[in-house]
Amino acid sequence: MNLNAAAEILFLDEFSAADMPYDAGEEALLKWKTSPLDSAQATYQVFASTMQTGGWIKVDEFSADKKFASDIKLPFWAWKARKDLHAVAIPLETHFGKLEKNKEYFFKIISIKGRQKFESEIVSTQVKRNWFNFARLNNLVFVLVIFGIFIWTVSHAKRKGLFIRRIAGLDAIDEAIGRATEMGRPIYYITGIGSMSSISTIASTFILGEVAGKVAQYDSYVKVPHYNPIVMTVCKEVVRQAYLQAGRPDSYREDMNFFVSSDQFSYAASVDGMITREKPAACFLIGHFMAESLLLAEVGATVGAIQIAGTDSEHQLPFFFTTCDYTLIGEELYAAGAYLSKEPMLLSTLRLQDYGKFFVIVAVVIGIALMTLSVQYKWDLTDKILENIFKTY
Amino acid sequence: MSETWLIIGGWVAAGLTIFIFSFLYKDNPFFKIAEHLYLGAGMGWWFQVMFYNIWKPKVWEPVKILVNGLQIIQSYHIWKPEFWKAVWTAGDWTIFIPTLLGLSLITQFFQKISWVSRYGFTFIMGYGAGLVIPVSVSTDFMTQILGTIKPLFKVGTEMSWASFFYTFNTFLIAFGLVCVLIYFFFSAEQKGLVKKASNIGIYFLMLYFGAAFGNTVMGRFSLLYGRFDDLYKYSSVKYFYAAQIIAAALAVYFILNHFISAKKSRAAQDNSGS
Repeated sequence: MNLNAAAEILFLDEFSAADMPYDAGEEALLKWKTSPLDSAQATYQVFASTMQTGGWIKVDEFSADKKFASDIKLPFWAWKARKDLHAVAIPLETHFGKLEKNKEYFFKIISIKGRQKFESEIVSTQVKRNWFNFARLNNLVFVLVIFGIFIWTVSHAKRKGLFIRRIAGLDAIDEAIGRATEMGRPIYYITGIGSMSSISTIASTFILGEVAGKVAQYDSYVKVPHYNPIVMTVCKEVVRQAYLQAGRPDSYREDMNFFVSSDQFSYAASVDGMITREKPAACFLIGHFMAESLLLAEVGATVGAIQIAGTDSEHQLPFFFTTCDYTLIGEELYAAGAYLSKEPMLLSTLRLQDYGKFFVIVAVVIGIALMTLSVQYKWDLTDKILENIFKTY
Repeated sequence: MSETWLIIGGWVAAGLTIFIFSFLYKDNPFFKIAEHLYLGAGMGWWFQVMFYNIWKPKVWEPVKILVNGLQIIQSYHIWKPEFWKAVWTAGDWTIFIPTLLGLSLITQFFQKISWVSRYGFTFIMGYGAGLVIPVSVSTDFMTQILGTIKPLFKVGTEMSWASFFYTFNTFLIAFGLVCVLIYFFFSAEQKGLVKKASNIGIYFLMLYFGAAFGNTVMGRFSLLYGRFDDLYKYSSVKYFYAAQIIAAALAVYFILNHFISAKKSRAAQDNSGS
């Protein structure tokens, strides 16, 4: 082989190594200028090592007409998508295992065309974790805009109040609790199998507070079997607070909330057993549910309980429709806390959600129109900008 | 595993399956046995998962490394910088932050210091909300928009059924999304055009739920077939007809129980009548 003999053909101009920007310190970025002689017949072999003198591992190989700076998937505000620059991201963890801090990694490239080879100089870099992912700037902007509108809607709601349309499932809560009081049977409130980081569980605790308040007023009894011990502790506080606010702290009992199991189906089997034996007059199934949804709701329906369900797990909603009297669909569940409490802070979140939905409608209509026009008139830039703005990195 | 243990395992598996299925008829002591066994086994399983997958590798072992690492500090005087350097480099001190937050949850069992548990719960809730907000914005908001924004016509394609269906699909998805979103408007009264769009949105939702229902039911049936397949396996002579004997015994129990209960209720009625 004639190593370096064809330097004038496959010479790597401005070859450099750097830390991959905006990542968690896992990749190195190699860049060099494209050559007019880059073609499908020529190949680049990328080698990496932890030493300058040897231990080279081939980490990538591709034909010379591929892998440009424009192929790096970063948005236009964070990365200049150029066609005149080769750029390759090397995932170092894949080749060297767990990366050490402040360690230097070395790279070289061998370009091959026919029988000729050219070996580049050795370049090196360290990789580091970046504090700020500039590629997610769009995400931050959206969050800040949402936050700004939230502040505005809170003040608006406090001053003028907000209208909320009727939600049938929530109006039925009084009916369910009243029925339980008349029949002298307990009410089961099931928060599902979500953790406290699940939005539907947080929404469920809000609704539990309202339900517990009404239960305290009617002097009925609520039982809350739990899957997650942390949700249980939060719910205990919520129920205790509701009883205090209703002026019935004497009626509150610690065992209203109780832990059953953290195993999905044994939890379902156990709660099913309790529902069958105690025959509650009303069952609330509100929160995050998975495959146990039908097991619970069906047993509730069998014992003749009035059932109100609500979840954002769209695959479980059909089961609630078939077995429950009222079902809160996804967003209605989030709205429930505000609907029941009528607190300005919560009401304003509803208005905020509506603004968000309105924005989605407008963005979709305008986006489709622009995309259609960009296809017809070849406005590549419009296409790219739209994609970059709404893409998540 | 010996043949005897396989047969015992078959009887236990067939028995517990039939006990659980017996709930379809009515609540009974056999279901209660299976229910409580399942509950206990489930919790036991999760306890060992937490113990071996979380507590041991993430708390016990880092603390052990730290304690071993601290052995070296005995050779330095406390006022020397080497002492503090050795303390700092002995191991991962950050392990104590989540450990203490986790331990704080236990304080709720002690009335006087139960307030400490609020730190742990507050952290969990704050962390959860903080994690959910950016993820929700990117997945529920931005990705949803990007997934819907598609050109109505494909570039360079002539009019054909394929291109017609592409245009129709793109329009249908966008139209469905807009109508469903209008259904979920809470701060606007549903009347006039909003009401009409909202009603169309409900149809879209129901179509989706119907498809999801069918899909999930098919999945559940495959699980049911799995249990039936196992029962069929345990009904063979190799397992001494475990499935048939247990099912027959349960049927006998229900028949006897029915007559005994009927007799008892008749006796109770007679007593109350006299």
